Amino acid sequence: MIKTLKNNKVSNHLMLIVFSLLMLYPVIWWVGASLKTTAEMSSPSIWPSTPIWENYTKGWQFSPEFTFGRFFGNTLLMELWNVVGGVLTSAIVAYGFARINFKFRGALFSILLLTMMLPGQVTIVPQYILYNKLQLMDSYIPLILPHFFGGGAFFIFLLVQFIRGIPRELDEAAKIDGSSVYGIFYRIVLPLIKPALVTVAIFTFIWSWDDFFAQMLYLNSVGKFTVGLALRMYVDQFEIQWGRLLAMSLLSVVPSVVLFFFAQKQFVEGIATTGLKG
Amino acid sequence: MLAATLGLTACGNGGANNGQSNAEGKSNNSDPNAPVKLKIMWQGADIRHQAMLKTQEVYTGLNPSVTFSPEYMAWDDYWKKLPTLAASHSLPDVLHMDGAYIQEYATRGTLEDLSDIDLTGVIDEKTLDNLKINGKLYGIPISRNAQGMAYNKEALEAAGIELPKKDWTWDEFFDFARNARAKLPEGVYPISDTDTWDFYEYYQMGYGKGTIIQEDGKKFNLDKDLFMKFYGIFAEFRDKKIVPPADMVSAFKENDPQADPMASGKVMTRGATVGSVGALEQLMPGKIDVVNLPVGPEGGGWAQPTIFLSVSTDSKHKDAAKAFIKWFVTDKKAGETYGTNFGIPIYDDVYNAIEPSLAPKEKLGKKLYDTAKDKALPFSPAAAGWTEWVDNYKKTMDAVLFGQKSLEEAYNDISKSGNALAEKLSKSSK
Amino acid sequence: MKAEAVHKPAAARLRLTKKKAKSSNRNNLAGYIFISPWLLGFLLLTVWPIIQSFYLSFTEYSLLEAPTWTGTQNYANIFKNDTDFTTSLKVTFIFVLFSVPLKLFFSLMVAMMLNKNLKGMNLYRTAIYFPSLIGGSIAVAALWRNMFNLNGYFNHVLSWFGIQGVGWITNPHTSLATLILLNTWQFGSTMVIFLAGLKQIPNELYESASVDGASKVRKFFHITLPMLSPVMFFNLVLGIIGSFQTFTAAFIVTQGGPINSTYMYALFLYDKAFKHYQMGYASALAWILLVIVALMTAINFLVSRYWVFYETDGGKQK
Repeated sequence: MIKTLKNNKVSNHLMLIVFSLLMLYPVIWWVGASLKTTAEMSSPSIWPSTPIWENYTKGWQFSPEFTFGRFFGNTLLMELWNVVGGVLTSAIVAYGFARINFKFRGALFSILLLTMMLPGQVTIVPQYILYNKLQLMDSYIPLILPHFFGGGAFFIFLLVQFIRGIPRELDEAAKIDGSSVYGIFYRIVLPLIKPALVTVAIFTFIWSWDDFFAQMLYLNSVGKFTVGLALRMYVDQFEIQWGRLLAMSLLSVVPSVVLFFFAQKQFVEGIATTGLKG
Repeated sequence: MLAATLGLTACGNGGANNGQSNAEGKSNNSDPNAPVKLKIMWQGADIRHQAMLKTQEVYTGLNPSVTFSPEYMAWDDYWKKLPTLAASHSLPDVLHMDGAYIQEYATRGTLEDLSDIDLTGVIDEKTLDNLKINGKLYGIPISRNAQGMAYNKEALEAAGIELPKKDWTWDEFFDFARNARAKLPEGVYPISDTDTWDFYEYYQMGYGKGTIIQEDGKKFNLDKDLFMKFYGIFAEFRDKKIVPPADMVSAFKENDPQADPMASGKVMTRGATVGSVGALEQLMPGKIDVVNLPVGPEGGGWAQPTIFLSVSTDSKHKDAAKAFIKWFVTDKKAGETYGTNFGIPIYDDVYNAIEPSLAPKEKLGKKLYDTAKDKALPFSPAAAGWTEWVDNYKKTMDAVLFGQKSLEEAYNDISKSGNALAEKLSKSSK
Repeated sequence: MKAEAVHKPAAARLRLTKKKAKSSNRNNLAGYIFISPWLLGFLLLTVWPIIQSFYLSFTEYSLLEAPTWTGTQNYANIFKNDTDFTTSLKVTFIFVLFSVPLKLFFSLMVAMMLNKNLKGMNLYRTAIYFPSLIGGSIAVAALWRNMFNLNGYFNHVLSWFGIQGVGWITNPHTSLATLILLNTWQFGSTMVIFLAGLKQIPNELYESASVDGASKVRKFFHITLPMLSPVMFFNLVLGIIGSFQTFTAAFIVTQGGPINSTYMYALFLYDKAFKHYQMGYASALAWILLVIVALMTAINFLVSRYWVFYETDGGKQK
């Protein structure tokens, strides 16, 4: 019995290691390519003949005025607001849709879902004109604000599904103990959907990191650029500074990886703290 | 508000020697020293950004009342952002324009007519006339450009193949390909296949049948005989493996270190412009040389400016913007500051001042320009509203390359959509 | 509250609620307080651009000049003589049809694999999630091309099994399949949602099932799947909505080619709007897509009542 369990463990590890390596091939390629000269990029070998560390140092030293430190600072600050806004408001809105019967709930929920189905390409220009009229150009507000309004249909719907997975008897028990709907939300539901909230935080972070189109439209001064925008400056019409581009893009993934690494521990803790009874 | 009153009439004393163009402001009864902040936007790489910022600093030094609010980014983002700015009427005062886009922006009323900027003795009349759209000048050219070809000199010499010569004819070009095939190793090709409209158009124009899109997009002119003959030769080349197979061709991506037809070592020649040949030189340092495009009886290729500075109709400081542009193109000090960062400067005096300090890739660009100049025909970009037809031309020819369409079908598709579009545009303009 | 039809899926239940008009004033107030962040944002920031885009779909609008009213001409042109429309719709349907189930299946399998208490699981999870972290930058486009070109990584792996690969993304016969694969490779987000869902299933259920001597397979079908069904439903609905709007992969890797073989609807729409200066036409395309996706979603909600299981008081499946 113990032996098969052990074997099981070993084979599990083996499988996971092989699978991880397969998925990690891009990193290996990426690290190698980020140390190459542009002329060497075309060679099939993964590793450079002599590593060009300059891609990192010069790449970081973006221009005489700004380093990538500035861009990371800008992006992380924006992200902090996005994540706080997204996690906070999406849970509140989701609870309303999932647990409370109010007039026009069905209709409003359908509208919520419909807003996801219209491709953003056709609303972005009217939206830009709107923000332009509000004189919010060259600021992070147009980028952050939507996260404070429920964080978008995706997250609201996600949390609605999670909240509906929580046994109602918990609500009822709390109600008997004299809790209001607000109390139930805060003391019962919120702790129970922690894994889902962590998911919201991770996705908000990663997706706003990637959302270059809106950033490009709303940020004008280079001093306010995000990492994503700064990276795009390395891609000229004819000449791409491949070494620096790849080096800095690799660095730009690091915050997301670190965040994910630490945040996903919450999934493990998730079980311990919920302690649901069937 | 102050700027609108600044009223710098740039058509004052002409010539190239005015580093103090703000002095011309007195023709208007406004205060020339009223402060103006010009919004200016351009695209490029970091060296260009730095040079441009420096140039603006110099200008502000000479004209303390004029300061700048600069916005700059790389090519892709620039052209993605511009339409949205136009839609919200917030285009900058001064903006960078390109030959590939100026038609769309000019004919749709977003750009100011700059004909009143006097460039006598700076840019010749003929060049300026070529650049006019509906008789108006919507952008002041700042550098020269030309279309030619680059070839892998090192590899061709090693294989004992005679190098392309200046002013080679289309027949010589095809013969070069046939001869080189025999001497090159398998998997390496003398020329690439072609699927874009412009390369065929050079052929049609060279043989005197004119441009494909005429009268600002209201007339369509695709010569069937030349079309069938030109692509017939490429069909033969496809069979004889003188050009690469279709799926290799569709993987090519110019200036990408791994996917560039030449940098990847798969093809010996490709089209190049003054701007792009420098990038290729970076990918294969010291290995390449340039020649002009094959010529027909009428000539071949083009040599003319494609980078412009324009003033938007949204601007509230049009005169100040024009004065800056004039100074930018005609002043030697300006030229020394931005150097070759926008290509080979258009004004000879400015160019001669910086010529001694050219880098190898810039010299190659200049060589391309000089080679292409003699036989050059007018540059003919797609007219406004034709971008989609241009895309579809390529898709249709790709279907031919992959053997999914016959040449006859391709001709019919392309000319049908071209004629329909020309008809639609000529109707809507009436 | 107890009387609520708890086995019914969202849409059905919401409808029931309305019919019974059970909502009290107090509930109304609380409900609107809770959803107020979204409602405010919707009214202030979202609704106007949506109305605008609907209006623009009846105009010719180049962005560079003011829109001109053309009535239903855009819609007529789309349905009557736009072969790119039919092509891109076909390509997109094929993409959705294959990529949604593939991604769901694959990410559920991986989520189950990663839902174990093993040492170093943090690292495995992060490594496996990595491809989904890298987004859609130009660097990534280079990476993808490198993986799938003629002498790329993918063909290298195939050669271990004695298979001779082709230029996957540059061959019109394989390019779409490659994009589907690529999309599946970035299964991370779906997987993370599954993982969070798996974590929400009470361990007690498995424990008591073990006591009853249930097999692994039985546990999967009788505990995991039903308990996970709300999350599964979410991933399915969002997978379909998202796949219909797939853009990045086609945009940066294939640009829709070769010969339109990967010309996704969203890419076609983008080209129309920002490359060919036909925002009015693009808006009409967007609204057509909205109708299609809304129909698919409605069907999904209707069907979901037969398979999605929501937690209820004591309503455990035993």
